Amino acid sequence: MSLSQSFSISKGQLVDPLRHFTRQIALVCLALLSLWSLALWLTPYEPAAADFLDRLAPPSAAHWAGTDHLGRDIATRLLYGAGWSLGLSLAISLTGFVVGTFVGIFAARSGPAGDFAVMRVTDSFFAFPELIAAVTFAGLFGPSTTNLVIALMMVSWMKFARLARALTVNLGESDFITQARLNGLSSLLILWRHLLPNILPSLLVLWTNSWSRTILSVSGLSFLGFGIQPPSAEWGAMLLDGKAYMQTAPHIMIFPGLAVLLAVMVINLTGDRFRDLMAGKT
Amino acid sequence: MKTLLIRFGGLLAVLIGITLITFTISYFAPGDKAEAIAHARYPGDFGIPTEVLQGIREEFNLDAPFVHQYIHWLADVLRGDFGVSYSSRTPVWVIFVDNLGETVTLTLTSLAIGLAAAFLLSAVAVRYPNTIWDRGAVVISSIGAAMPSYWLALLLILGVSVHLGWLPAYGTGTFGHLILPSTTLAFWIMASQTRLMRTFMLEAYDQPFIETLRLRGIPEREIFSRHVLRHSFVPALTMIGLDMASLLEGAIIVELTFSRSGLGSVLAGSVLSRDLPVVMFLVMFFATAYVVINSVIDAVQHLCDPRNLNKAKTS
Repeated sequence: MSLSQSFSISKGQLVDPLRHFTRQIALVCLALLSLWSLALWLTPYEPAAADFLDRLAPPSAAHWAGTDHLGRDIATRLLYGAGWSLGLSLAISLTGFVVGTFVGIFAARSGPAGDFAVMRVTDSFFAFPELIAAVTFAGLFGPSTTNLVIALMMVSWMKFARLARALTVNLGESDFITQARLNGLSSLLILWRHLLPNILPSLLVLWTNSWSRTILSVSGLSFLGFGIQPPSAEWGAMLLDGKAYMQTAPHIMIFPGLAVLLAVMVINLTGDRFRDLMAGKT
Repeated sequence: MKTLLIRFGGLLAVLIGITLITFTISYFAPGDKAEAIAHARYPGDFGIPTEVLQGIREEFNLDAPFVHQYIHWLADVLRGDFGVSYSSRTPVWVIFVDNLGETVTLTLTSLAIGLAAAFLLSAVAVRYPNTIWDRGAVVISSIGAAMPSYWLALLLILGVSVHLGWLPAYGTGTFGHLILPSTTLAFWIMASQTRLMRTFMLEAYDQPFIETLRLRGIPEREIFSRHVLRHSFVPALTMIGLDMASLLEGAIIVELTFSRSGLGSVLAGSVLSRDLPVVMFLVMFFATAYVVINSVIDAVQHLCDPRNLNKAKTS
């Protein structure tokens, strides 16, 4: 493939659908956010308001997803829970993204000895399965939202560090970086203007993956009792509530699980699409 | 030889890193360790005299500085002395061996079912591309990848145990107890593997050697079974290695959801009762197992791939 050919491909087919897709995603996110706030404003119920006269009610016109064992409206709790389940995991995975990218670039740029040291530290953290680390940390330091966040943040950055390092090392050998260096650009400028824009898309794909995994971790840990504690309306914690009433009122556990499944699936599929577009498939 | 030495040094550094992280977490865990030990020794005794606590502190070096304690503990670990459980006063090693079987049984059963299903599904999907089979495989794998395993477990319990009454919902023991948990775990394995195996096999079809085989007049069926199918082993191998962590996590969630005995339940129980020796050992075991298995798989994969035979190791 000649140089001009590769340019025409990147201009005509790769960049534009990607931009287009990113714009679409941004619009959809904005729409969803406004719908969500509208729903929070419109719902006549409070997430923690118990109504003992209306316990374990199946879905109806008044309670779209029924009520739980304390008579709380499940649909309202699901809406509030989105803030916990999706919002908290978003924050955790973004932190991992930023920290990991920084560590990875640092390792790639700090010479063989520094690289070796930093990456072995990364490997050491990487060896601890996320859930085991989180259960241990949150369990020993007391199950709470703060400890859950700390625990998951500690184990969220390693994949980004590995990928960022690999990409940076690969790019460091490419001609345009050498060119930029020969032109006398400072390291920071090269990093910001040439390196980051090139490694960011791959890292973003990893990030969508990391976000959906974190959603599963957050709600899984809450379900196991190591995460966000009741009465917070986190989806996993709601599932835990529903477990005890599975036989008489299965709707309590059906809806939160469905919410997790759908959220994770949508994020995964978006990430897949993004990756395909990056690879030049349409 | 030099790369081998560097790799080995790296492995050693990572193992030391693991012990350091484990020890740091337990060192800074809140709560008086001497009191935890004392309560375990004299159950039901609430007014433990300060002299006894002081004695325990001296016995376990609890007042020594961090580095001192770490080195002492590490020396014990290296000698194979992992300590004694605070609460049951049995050696940690014994607790581990007693519970290892259940977790290994669950993991291997699920792995066998999951990989077999993924193999079938992806083979059908690749053999009949763009049919309903292919689409079905893709849909199932994206649902499976997003499915919270604890929710799937609850649904299975609701459907199979509660409504149909076919299988026991909670506990360990009989073969019947194993079916629902391993189905739950296998579903996730199947989903993630089908996707990868399908991609790998499709990539294999794009390789020039397949075209050569076709030109040589080798039947499509034979090309598939003798050449393309092999490529599905690559993700299966990686699964056992790289995804070992996810596999363990899955096993732990499944164990806890189905109230099975096993290492996951022991970990959760001892974390909540602050049985530090057990917690430290298990966490270290999981991390070390992950690192060691990955190094082995790395080597095996390297040996299995004919492209690496003539190529010098790069990383």
